[in-house]
Amino acid sequence: MRTRAAKRYQRRFFLTMVAYVAVLFASVTAINQYEPTGLPLVILSVLPALPVIACLVVMGFYLIEETDEFVRQRIVSAMMFGTGVVLSIATVLGFLQYGKVIGNVDVFWAFPIWCMSWGFAQCWLTWRDSRAGGNA
Amino acid sequence: MNNRLRVLRAERKWSQQHLAELLEVSRQSVNAIETGRYDPSLPLAFRISDVFDLPIEAIFTNPSKENA
Repeated sequence: MRTRAAKRYQRRFFLTMVAYVAVLFASVTAINQYEPTGLPLVILSVLPALPVIACLVVMGFYLIEETDEFVRQRIVSAMMFGTGVVLSIATVLGFLQYGKVIGNVDVFWAFPIWCMSWGFAQCWLTWRDSRAGGNA
Repeated sequence: MNNRLRVLRAERKWSQQHLAELLEVSRQSVNAIETGRYDPSLPLAFRISDVFDLPIEAIFTNPSKENA
């Protein structure tokens, strides 16, 4: 059973993702069509990042609003796992770049990788808890 | 921290879901506390104490004291 905070989070997360897709589509279309330079190009390039930042804020609110301390602890653990994965990948890639083994890496992948790692950890913790069982 | 939550719940013929609703937490939380995978905070321990109408020390016990 999802908590009220979790339901609110899902709704907000969905809205930020819809906004992300819409803004990304509009931004890419505008850049390709009008080929702006200077400040307009900077603004159009940054725009798709805003819904992603909003998504992080939504996640922060979820942590604040979640009243179930066990659920909150599990979310924080899963987020920490995601952070560890991203930092590990960034460190390895950074040294590979330093050694000129690889070229540039698109850093915007950090957020999707963090989300995927978090999701994986959350699924694993849920599976582990369901295995721990107990009568309902 | 050891606890007698499962025993006390069984005595009252409550399901984990029912206890979770009384405590305003998820069933996962009740299960995690019962199986000793999670130690509740002091406010939640007091809520548990209120729900069972027992002092905290009648529900939660210090394992190091038990072994001594």
